[in-house]
Amino acid sequence: MNNSTACRAAQRYAAAYDSLSTTTEQAVVRAEELSTAEQALAGVNDLLASPSVPLTQKQAAVQAALKNWPQVASFVEVLLAAKRYNLLAQIVADVYALADKRQGILRAQIVSARPLSDTEKQHAQRVLSTRYGQDVKAVFRTDKEVLGGLKIWCNGELLDGSFQGQLNRLQEELIK
Amino acid sequence: MAIRPEEITKIIKEKIEHFDTSVDVSEVGTVIQVGDGIARVHGLNHVKASELVDFGNGIKGMAMNLEYDNVGCVLMGADTQVKEGDVVKRTGEVISIPVGAGVIGRVVDPLGRPLDGKGEIQADKNMPLDIVAPGIIDRQPVKQPLQTGIKAIDSMVPIGKGQRELIIGDRQTGKTAIAIDAIINQKNIPEKERCICIYIAVGQKQSTVAQVVKTLTDFGAMDYTVVVSATASDPASMLYIAPYAGCAIGEYFMWQGKDVLIVYDDLSKHAQAYRQMSLLLRRPPGREAYPGDVFYLHSRLLERACKLSNENGGGSITALPIIETQANDVSAYIPTNVISITDGQIYLESNLFLSGIKPAVNVGLSVSRVGGSAQRKTMRKVAGTLRIDLSQYQELAGFAQFGSELDKESQRQISRGQRMTELLKQNQYSPLTVGEEVLSLYAGTHGYLDELTVADVLPYEKQLLAYVRAERKDVLETLNTSNELTADLENKIVTLLDQFKTVFKAGK
Repeated sequence: MNNSTACRAAQRYAAAYDSLSTTTEQAVVRAEELSTAEQALAGVNDLLASPSVPLTQKQAAVQAALKNWPQVASFVEVLLAAKRYNLLAQIVADVYALADKRQGILRAQIVSARPLSDTEKQHAQRVLSTRYGQDVKAVFRTDKEVLGGLKIWCNGELLDGSFQGQLNRLQEELIK
Repeated sequence: MAIRPEEITKIIKEKIEHFDTSVDVSEVGTVIQVGDGIARVHGLNHVKASELVDFGNGIKGMAMNLEYDNVGCVLMGADTQVKEGDVVKRTGEVISIPVGAGVIGRVVDPLGRPLDGKGEIQADKNMPLDIVAPGIIDRQPVKQPLQTGIKAIDSMVPIGKGQRELIIGDRQTGKTAIAIDAIINQKNIPEKERCICIYIAVGQKQSTVAQVVKTLTDFGAMDYTVVVSATASDPASMLYIAPYAGCAIGEYFMWQGKDVLIVYDDLSKHAQAYRQMSLLLRRPPGREAYPGDVFYLHSRLLERACKLSNENGGGSITALPIIETQANDVSAYIPTNVISITDGQIYLESNLFLSGIKPAVNVGLSVSRVGGSAQRKTMRKVAGTLRIDLSQYQELAGFAQFGSELDKESQRQISRGQRMTELLKQNQYSPLTVGEEVLSLYAGTHGYLDELTVADVLPYEKQLLAYVRAERKDVLETLNTSNELTADLENKIVTLLDQFKTVFKAGK
């Protein structure tokens, strides 16, 4: 099975999980639940992934670990029965993406050389929201190699206003 | 050349001053898998088919497969420098090659980068590699001859400017030799009618390409030739684009009203490179594991060979694709495809080659579908029945092998056939002018060789041509330029041949 097939399978499971919710709020809550459940299953991951453990034993482990989230437990059991448990992390990411889509939120990653102040963070998010016409929720990261300025990944685009990027482009220009 | 540091400093300062410091916005994706010259990229949501993408470190790629959640790209460089997680940028451009008069005489790779160490190429503009061939309105029928300087071809399988003539045969049968001779022969043609030649090496050994370049240089043919080289050590993607790159260079000259001769050496390896890419991109395999669109791969390339109408400048591209067969099997997938696309084929046979008939053209299986109308009238008159005569001779020769008694007419046919077969032999790198060809074929088809032994035919021809070049240049000039074999001209030839008969006899 190649990466592409696995990706598509994960997207199908995520879409099915997402379709359980009738409202946006419900979808967000369910996405959070699935993410928490994934973390709760971390302790029994080896057991669930092992091909030598019988399905009944795996189902029992899932029931025990996820007794507070019966619906999520059923979903994980379906994955176990279909031998798709290895896709869980990908499914969680895809479920989040679907919930974001319902809310009209774009995710962004902003990298800077030094930590940004709250005002700067809000300003950056506001500028991005205006550019894309959607709410933008950003994850902030620092990387000294950026040297200065910002490097922003959002909506499949790279907005490179960093000194690192400028120096790289200048280098290419001079080599030409 | 003295290096002036202050000048370099000035240029660098200028570049820095004019450097655009605004935010660089680009659509990006991430490499999720790389290997075997193929990269799968997540993202690049709006990338177009055949668009050039940038992997950084100077490595470019071409988007080939646009799938639901990833893009399959072929890399135009070493895949060892690309790793999982690398950022890939869209360029918004299709792949193109720099073209201009400066490319003539150079050896370039399929991206137009020089390989001959003669410095940067002065280009006028960039031409996209894969463009749609000129339509019906833009063209006119093939009607001008393209002389290859090879008697067997110019007489029996004539090629016209704008034609696509396949050269097909096993390995070591002289396929490249014919193409190279055709290029060298352009030197004999007045500059106004001379073709610009483009030799495209696809999947050849570097040593073979070096040898070809040396031969062309030695014969002064590089003055009007471009060599596009994608050798066996290059990635499959380079082999795949090489013929299109060469054709793009040819089209630049064609639209300027010039005649171009392109040799694709060879399209079997081109198809193999495309098969490799397609299988790695997980496209479904078909017959002989080639992908379904392998016919289109070659048809769209060879359709670009054409003769433009006079309104468009009247330029032309003549294509000589080469196909290598395995054990003389012309019914394999790629040979049948290319045979059906082209306007005829020159079929070279290893049996003929090994029995000393060089060029080893199989007269029965070689045809030219449109070249006949482009043949010079002088040549058509002299060699009109040559093909049929030789085919009949080969049939009769088969009977004669059983030692059966033959009537006089059959014996005459066999005797003539043997001499004509001998006369059509020609050494490599010794193309003849059209006048020389007509003269020597006239001698053959009008019985001047009948009284000679077979062994004397080639010495006779050699001495005849030397005699004419020295003593009767006027006749040769007229034959080279004239399109009609007038009674007066024919009389001159007859007188000349009669005179030479005594000279040859005296010399023996």
